[in-house]
Amino acid sequence: MLAKIAWRLFWRELRRGELWVIAFALFLAVGSVVSLSGITTGVKSALMQRSAQFSAADSVLRSSQPFDQAIFAQAENLKVQTARQMQFDSMLFAADIMQLVTIKAVDNSYPLRGELLLKRASRIAEGKTVSLNKGDVYLEMRLFDLLKLSVGDQIELGMAKLTVGGVIANEPDAPLSVFGGAPRVLMHIDDVAATQIVQPGSRITYRYLFAGNATNLAKFESAIAPQLSSHQRWQKLDNESAIGSALERAERFLLLAGLLGIILAACAAAVAATRYSQRNTQAVAVIKALGATTQQVRLLYGSHLFLVILFSLVTGVIAGQLAIDAAHWGIKYYLNDYHAEFSWRPLWLGCLTGVICALLFAARPMWRLASTAAIDVLKQPSLSLGFDVVQWVVGAAAIWALMWLFSGELVLSIGLFVICAVFAAVLMVFAAVLVKFVKPVAAGQSSARKLAMANLRRRLWANSFQLITFSLAIFLALSLYFLRSELIEQWQKQIPVGAPNHFLVNITEAQRDTLNSFAKQHQLKLGQYYPVVRGRLTAINNEQVQQEVTKDDRSAQRVGIGRELNLTWLSDLPQNNELTIGHWFAVQAKAEVSVEAEVAQRLAIKLGDTLAFSIGGQELSANVSSIRKVDWNSLQPNFYMILSPDLLANFPATYINAFYLAPEQSVLLNQLVRLLPTVTVISVDSIIAQVNSIIGQVTIALSFILLIIGLAAALVLVAQVQATLEQREQELAILRTLGARYIFLRNALVLEFVFLGAMAGLFATILAEIMLFVLQQRVFNLPFNLHYNLWWIGPMLGVVLVTALGWWQLKRLLRIPSAQLIRRVLQG
Amino acid sequence: MIIAPEIHIKATGLTKSVKVADGSLTILHDISLLINRGESVAIVGASGSGKSTLLSLLAGLDVPSQGEVFLAEYPLHLLSEDERAGVRAAHVGFVFQSFLLLPSLTALENITLPAELAGIKDAKARGLILLQQVGLAERADFFPAQLSGGEQQRVAIARAFITKPDVLFADEPSANLDAATGLKIEDLLFKLNAEQGTTLVLVTHNNDLAARCQRQYKMQAGRFIETDMQGSQHVG
Repeated sequence: MLAKIAWRLFWRELRRGELWVIAFALFLAVGSVVSLSGITTGVKSALMQRSAQFSAADSVLRSSQPFDQAIFAQAENLKVQTARQMQFDSMLFAADIMQLVTIKAVDNSYPLRGELLLKRASRIAEGKTVSLNKGDVYLEMRLFDLLKLSVGDQIELGMAKLTVGGVIANEPDAPLSVFGGAPRVLMHIDDVAATQIVQPGSRITYRYLFAGNATNLAKFESAIAPQLSSHQRWQKLDNESAIGSALERAERFLLLAGLLGIILAACAAAVAATRYSQRNTQAVAVIKALGATTQQVRLLYGSHLFLVILFSLVTGVIAGQLAIDAAHWGIKYYLNDYHAEFSWRPLWLGCLTGVICALLFAARPMWRLASTAAIDVLKQPSLSLGFDVVQWVVGAAAIWALMWLFSGELVLSIGLFVICAVFAAVLMVFAAVLVKFVKPVAAGQSSARKLAMANLRRRLWANSFQLITFSLAIFLALSLYFLRSELIEQWQKQIPVGAPNHFLVNITEAQRDTLNSFAKQHQLKLGQYYPVVRGRLTAINNEQVQQEVTKDDRSAQRVGIGRELNLTWLSDLPQNNELTIGHWFAVQAKAEVSVEAEVAQRLAIKLGDTLAFSIGGQELSANVSSIRKVDWNSLQPNFYMILSPDLLANFPATYINAFYLAPEQSVLLNQLVRLLPTVTVISVDSIIAQVNSIIGQVTIALSFILLIIGLAAALVLVAQVQATLEQREQELAILRTLGARYIFLRNALVLEFVFLGAMAGLFATILAEIMLFVLQQRVFNLPFNLHYNLWWIGPMLGVVLVTALGWWQLKRLLRIPSAQLIRRVLQG
Repeated sequence: MIIAPEIHIKATGLTKSVKVADGSLTILHDISLLINRGESVAIVGASGSGKSTLLSLLAGLDVPSQGEVFLAEYPLHLLSEDERAGVRAAHVGFVFQSFLLLPSLTALENITLPAELAGIKDAKARGLILLQQVGLAERADFFPAQLSGGEQQRVAIARAFITKPDVLFADEPSANLDAATGLKIEDLLFKLNAEQGTTLVLVTHNNDLAARCQRQYKMQAGRFIETDMQGSQHVG
């Protein structure tokens, strides 16, 4: 019987609006959490899959010690695929010519991700595709010219004689670094023993490659964590790369936007639920007077909330999942081999958010509603929204808990929460001040303006919370819009149109003229020549440093770089470099070095320290005269150590240069390789394409989020105006009875919203500027600049948005004939 | 305490105080009364005399600050809100000055609401009969906003009688209506009351209406100033 009444009331209540606002607010919260969480995971997984192709596996464990078979056994138990890889530098002998090469020895399972392409030829574009066999070696193209080799020739590697099988056309985990290094050679891992190169103390990197589904991999990684020694460590996605950093920013941004959407949706739900409860207070009093118990009323109105939650969860989850599917489809457009994995996480996270929002924001007013006393049936119903301290404390705690749950970042969630709380407090004070001063100011105005001001003043005082949410909504939309434009601009700046996409490494002094005339002939714009000398850092302040990377804390030796460095000398500070301490080389600088900031920090190098280098058997030392910050996101050659020209000028150096080659000019590359066979050409087109595809994806995601925030903001405004409907109806009835004309009432109404919108817009602007400053400085590491456009867009947006929404909802009230309006009010 | 079977409502020493900004305000002072079964009693007084507060205590909508009130064998002053709700559901009907129909329910649904809350099976059939009795059979599916004031009050009266209450409390039932409509409503109320043998407690400032009841209590500033003792006894 009770269910029948509940159902009947529910359908009729739906027509009155508040339940739809609650439903739509929860739908937005659920939908945005599901979609944002899903899309973030999707983009991340796409990048992981992409980066997995660049490391030939989903995850890689590096070790300086021989393979531990127990690890492979454990992986296989957990259905994780494995492959083995060893890497070392060695001399390769071809007849009487020798060359230092980097050897990579792999087994038949290699690669687990990406594609290895070997050609039975000495040129990439020629020959048929073959697979790696025992006894064969495959060489990087330039080695054929350097060593004067052909396919089928014999080479010697340590004690083993191996046959040249062909050229490496594509190696998934080839170093992407523009510094290149020694030419690369690929061989079968089973042939390594015969070379007898692996001896105790040899510098060999053993790489365990793993691939499988994310759950199994995670299980496996945590299972072997306790048994890993200090020689073994996971090789993770490089955070210093443009991709890693873009991804990190995108993820933070999406999470942040998600939080904002939730706050707004929660506000809308709370306002609508409070309004719903307040409007139903008298009905509950009547029902109770007619004999219903509190329990019965709770069931009656609780069932309404339950149905609304159910509806919002189902529709929110469906809409969210559709958005995820659309995003996956979009990612596939960029990454053909992307396989989307279905995940329950966004779904339960969304449902949990919806339930928390509903219970902590909407349930409380409903609960209070059921506590209405039967005696209230004899009282005049109150038209103002009651302020419930418990609701706001619980609500605030819930907002923060949701922020934390969703972002997983304590500092970010607390920061954002505090900003919102301070904002609310400042607006409260502002509203109070306004109340005090508006009256005298309004005294000399026209009567419509007077009425608008009087309305505003009275409502501001009774409900300054309205101004806070208006401002909050506009503030969120503004910050998001400006941050979005800024992030996209920053990303695009990193890879401007026409940025160099091909790097030339190992250019000798003699080849520079040939290269220059080739570039001139084909109208290629060459960049700066960076001289490179390879050397090791041997000592800091006469203290020898470790020559190998180790985590072994027992070693008393000072930490070193652990590998050969590319050293350069330059008379001018390169672009994308910024001095943090010290000074750049003077014209006559003697024995100075400029060190990159992160290396300086890791190696505890300070200004004035003396660094010793070993270059081709010669020792030299330099004083640290500056520390530099380097923008690793820029696709430019970057150096850890830049020495003053006097030190290196006499060493035989090779050079690095870069140029932009349009896709239709790619035939020039073959000509260039033939002209300069010993120069390595590295194309970064794939990296640029990858970053561009991420920017494209993220731009779509950001626009989508802006839409969500916009909708949530509009919903808050609608809920707020709806909350005052009855009160306004009463006032209008009185004014009409007293003879007020339509134009007068319309002007008063519009002016009220224009003023409210302008105030909210101005406040939102100030807050948005402060927020952008904090975010740029603390979260996204972007340089700060004032947003001049914000200062007119903000107030304008406030006026247009608030007035349009207010007018849209209230215009029908103005058009109701006086007699009907008065009757409606009298009948309650 | 056991009260005599013929006594329907008994109040002794009822006092009601409410908290105000600077202390407390006593609305009712030491009120005692007895109402017999089937009797019609009017409580008369000007606005603010405390008559509606007294009605709320007698009907169990509220509890006194001091004193006792019994409705049949139920000590309302000792019962919880929900226990009093149970008593109201089973024994009490109400008619209010401002009708207090639920705007989202139709006329028929408003009438059947108390019966449905009490779990009465033939609520709809009863409701239709009552609609007929109050002359609104054609308006069963109308919402309150579509009905005139008089029609709304007739619906409210039908609602009051659907659970066949032992006692009906009416708070200024015709005060919001024009004289002619008010008179019709009063006739309807007394007619149904007579048919069902219900005890009627009526609060009004209208002396003509009060005169239609068997007895009257006159109130001023929270006290009885005059009691028409006909057919009953006045204690205290």
